[in-house]
Amino acid sequence: MKTLVTKTLLALAFAGVLSSCEKKADREVIPENPGNYIIAVTPTAIAGKADYLLTASSLESGAASIIGNGVEQDGTYRYYVTANNKLFSMLYGQGSPGAVTVYGVTDGKLNKLNDYTSATVHAFAPVGDDILTVRVPRRIAAAGTPTVYEWYRVSTATNAEVAKGTVDAIMPSGNGEIAHLSWIKQVGNKVFAPYFSIYNSFFTKFPDQAGIAVFSYPQMQYEKTIRDTRTSFIGRYFVDGLGLVENGDCYAFSSSVAADDDPATTAVDAKMTSTKPSAITRIKAGTTEFDMSYFFNFEEASNGYVITNWLNIGQNKFIANIEPKLTKGQYVTGKRLAIVDVVAKTVKAVTGFPEVKDISSVTTTNYSPKDGKTGYVGVNLASGATYVYKIDASTATATQGIKVEGGVITAIQHLQ
Amino acid sequence: MQIKKFLLLGVLCTYVIFTKAQDRQASLSGRLTGSAGEPIPAATVKLQNTRYGVVSDQNGYYKISNVKPANYIVQVSAMGYKSQNKQIKLAAGESGSLNFVLAESAEQMEMVNVIGRTKAQEVNRQAFNVTAIDATKLYNTTLDIAGALDRVAGVRVRESGGVGSNFNVSLNGFSGRHVRYFIDGIPMDNFGSSFQVNNIPINVAERVEVYKGVVPMWLGSDALGGAINIVTGNRHRNYVDASYSYGSFNTHRSVLNAAATSQSGLTVQLSAFQNYSDNDYKINLRTLLQNNMQDDKRAAQVRRFHDVYHNETLIANVGVVGKSWADNLLLGMTMGQNYKEMQTAARPEAVYGQLHRRGNIVMPSLKYKKADLLPGLDVTINANYNLGYEITIDTAKADYDWDGIRDPKVSMGETENGQHVKYKNNNGLATTMVSYRLSEHQAVAVNNVFSTFDRKSDNLLFPDRNALNVPKKMDKNVLGFGYSYDVDNKWSLNLFGKYILLKSVVNSFSQKNMDHKLGYGTALAYYINPDVQIRGSYELTNRMPEANEIFGNLENEAANPLLKPEKSDNFNLGVIYGFKINEVNRFSITTNAIYRYSTDFIYSRLVGGTGQLRDYTTSDNRDGVRTTGFDSEIRYSYKSWLSVGATLTYQMLRNMQKHDYNASTRDYYPDESLVYLDQMPNIPYLFGNADVSGSFRNVFAKGNNLTVGYNLLYVNRFWLDWPSFGNPTEADKNAIPLQLSHDVNFVYSMKNGRYNISLEARNLADKPVFDNFALQKPGRGFYLNFRYFINQSK
Repeated sequence: MKTLVTKTLLALAFAGVLSSCEKKADREVIPENPGNYIIAVTPTAIAGKADYLLTASSLESGAASIIGNGVEQDGTYRYYVTANNKLFSMLYGQGSPGAVTVYGVTDGKLNKLNDYTSATVHAFAPVGDDILTVRVPRRIAAAGTPTVYEWYRVSTATNAEVAKGTVDAIMPSGNGEIAHLSWIKQVGNKVFAPYFSIYNSFFTKFPDQAGIAVFSYPQMQYEKTIRDTRTSFIGRYFVDGLGLVENGDCYAFSSSVAADDDPATTAVDAKMTSTKPSAITRIKAGTTEFDMSYFFNFEEASNGYVITNWLNIGQNKFIANIEPKLTKGQYVTGKRLAIVDVVAKTVKAVTGFPEVKDISSVTTTNYSPKDGKTGYVGVNLASGATYVYKIDASTATATQGIKVEGGVITAIQHLQ
Repeated sequence: MQIKKFLLLGVLCTYVIFTKAQDRQASLSGRLTGSAGEPIPAATVKLQNTRYGVVSDQNGYYKISNVKPANYIVQVSAMGYKSQNKQIKLAAGESGSLNFVLAESAEQMEMVNVIGRTKAQEVNRQAFNVTAIDATKLYNTTLDIAGALDRVAGVRVRESGGVGSNFNVSLNGFSGRHVRYFIDGIPMDNFGSSFQVNNIPINVAERVEVYKGVVPMWLGSDALGGAINIVTGNRHRNYVDASYSYGSFNTHRSVLNAAATSQSGLTVQLSAFQNYSDNDYKINLRTLLQNNMQDDKRAAQVRRFHDVYHNETLIANVGVVGKSWADNLLLGMTMGQNYKEMQTAARPEAVYGQLHRRGNIVMPSLKYKKADLLPGLDVTINANYNLGYEITIDTAKADYDWDGIRDPKVSMGETENGQHVKYKNNNGLATTMVSYRLSEHQAVAVNNVFSTFDRKSDNLLFPDRNALNVPKKMDKNVLGFGYSYDVDNKWSLNLFGKYILLKSVVNSFSQKNMDHKLGYGTALAYYINPDVQIRGSYELTNRMPEANEIFGNLENEAANPLLKPEKSDNFNLGVIYGFKINEVNRFSITTNAIYRYSTDFIYSRLVGGTGQLRDYTTSDNRDGVRTTGFDSEIRYSYKSWLSVGATLTYQMLRNMQKHDYNASTRDYYPDESLVYLDQMPNIPYLFGNADVSGSFRNVFAKGNNLTVGYNLLYVNRFWLDWPSFGNPTEADKNAIPLQLSHDVNFVYSMKNGRYNISLEARNLADKPVFDNFALQKPGRGFYLNFRYFINQSK
């Protein structure tokens, strides 16, 4: 009896060891795809893991895979920006300062040029020969401590920090709430920073105000706030709501997604509070005031949609993500695309793009050669397949391009 | 509720039995020495034709308690000595004393060798996959418990830095909270940061038992991957053991263990220890980290400047021992505190210069133990309550780079917004164990462990937020029951079950959860012959999410209230084989094969994203993880002075989750995951140790011994992320490099171990070593240790 039990146990243990003969499904091996396009891929395998940077020779056909290819990025969440023909891979998390790695492309392959550390930032953009980054407070500081933005200037020539400083983060809103910058943009020799004001948990008591803080550069002195009450705030959390066109005019969109804690429930949850429509407004070149003669009611023009993000493709045209007004939210990104002409005030739905029900997410950082015609947008399908779609603005059509294997597309960039 | 009844019952029983059993038992103690006066440890002392028997301690003392008054023949046998018998008559209530002087015997050695086992060796022969470290052999080192564990096959301790740094013990690839810690069988889950295996010196323990995969029911817990039990033992009745060491990076450690026991059995036991280190070891900086340093300070190698760690702990017990109604009844108090500066976040990119943490433990405790309360009935009761708190302080208005220079700023906090939160977990614990021997070979046992958790936090920086605090409560009960059948040196069988009940209140009084799980297992050992033991064990084990996993820890861990319990099928199969070529060349080989299949496997990942807690880790469920592997130990000894050993561990953890989870659609992707069957990332899979030590007797003077030892640690390189992803080259893919570390030590002990001086050198080659990605551990260090030991037990 005792030997029997031993034997059974033995057999069980070995059966376990031997059962490791399962096989992975067969897959076609996708080789390296050298080229000047860079696709940042976030693997779907485990949340909170690092990206891989792939190269591609074309966005319109072929395939690229992170299986056996790609440059691993450390950390959890990254943003990518190009300036001075360099790709800056900016780590968002990992303690307060983040690592930034700078890449160039030589012979179709990524090569590391340098790296440096920067502060964790919430908004960043090329300004002049620098990359300007700003860290934005999310809470009113503890008693006795000022609530400030912390900004850093990094030279794109030397890749080193050249200056840093702080600016009061309450003053721009003028209403006592934190002016949480949604993004920053160089406009002329100024830095424009649209904001949404918040008191806590990204809620506001002032849902029907738009504001853009204006700073001098490179001193980063706060100069004034451009205000408007025709729309809710400009841009969104981590979304650039400003678009600069060739003649120097600056267009701004509002999604109309200001929110406050829903008083009807005890839990902390959002209730849409803005009474203004999603719309596009304008600041004429050389001025620092909203152009009151221009107002583009996006909800009307699109028959009930709000704009959630856009990609400037040149010649006053944008590829916009749009979402039905009924399902809009603070963090909802539209899965439908439309071609928006801000001068002609037209909205044209894009056809040929995957059905909304089939889409898991649409990439935020996309690429356009700014020819007034073409944009490349990443789409992550619910099936797990991931593609770049080429959008032709002249016909408002989308065509499936390069297939990407291994994860979702976080960014599409291009270097010379 | 349940536990109260148990306690009450226990107390009632003890009253009833005291009156009955009082003053009827006798005891016998004494000391065994060789002809030169040297103590003889690990000798077997038996009362002939009875089941009374003990093994002598390292100083040759023995004590047999609770003996029926009668005439006895005392039989002593020890490896390398001739056996001896003596007669004694023990009267009721008498404490007899009998010393033996044993003559050496070469020919006897072979016969006694199987019998002469230390307690640690005894534990190693259980049917469970267990390794016991004989801590007494390490008393002259400066190791903490974690350091000693690192030399066991199948165990890897990953540290993020020097003394007091974050550590993670992995048992056959299971790590973190899959592994549970116990001290004398009492769960340490809620002891806080002031009393952990990385700050408890090895001298506090008598032995450390490492149970891999299958955990016996008497360690009442819901471990998934195994358990570590620190046994402090009641080594001596009257003794002082004090040591102090000083070494590199301004490291000071001291330990004092002492006990005084009166004739009547009144006892005071004290254990105090302290660690202090600047941890200012040098680390290599990549250019990336040098860019922000002040020009004149820029260097490829810098000293850590904000990494001081110290802790002080005092454990005091007062009570009685050796009574007819109690082997021991002790009221105790554990008081301790720790202070830890944090030099970096999870990566050296984030440098801190002021951020630090404090914690303390204030824990009254009660311990009661009585073997043979009624004939064959053993009872153990323990209870404690931790009043300690933890506090993280980040109120600096400054930033730091690796140059260590304070750059003032107007905003607060080196992390976002700053932090100053104090919290108490209000942990209570009660354990009861009752076992009963049905016959010479059979026993049954019931074990119950109840624990409670009720966190209260106080935000000192933003007091207005205290109003938003939500309830965080958790009660857990683990009821274990077991049966064992044991024929010494032939075979043994264990069958056991564990029923776990968890009740929690998460974030709102209305949100009450209750969950329960049943697990079971068996362990079998069979001796093919006295030298070869085969053992196999299996457990279906369940682990409930812990309080910190559900509620977070306010420092670096984010809450996940939706975490599911995990479960695992754990198999072990092992062979222990001891053999000799001749009388002077001896070998022992231990090999274990393991198989684990875990579902809803809880693992830790970074939160990520852009939210406030993005740098925190959080616990999450993975559908399946399978581990196969083996670990092996081989040991060779030549006569009694040379010992050579090596361990090797190979473990392959594979991802069995077939489909990736899509957080945005809250559903699985339909296609097969590209990492299905891939090796789990960031887990060491091939590592080992090798050691050589030689002991020389009567060096310079009679009774003075010298031991020289060398230890090698090897950990093979492993990837930080999934092996299939990315271009697998040094430049494009992150890895934790191969680790090789050489340690040597010299121990000179005088007057038969009363005075000891030892010198240790660690990481002799001064090579950069890493357990975790980019977090460099200390380089070469030297440590000098003094120890004084005196035992007055009679």
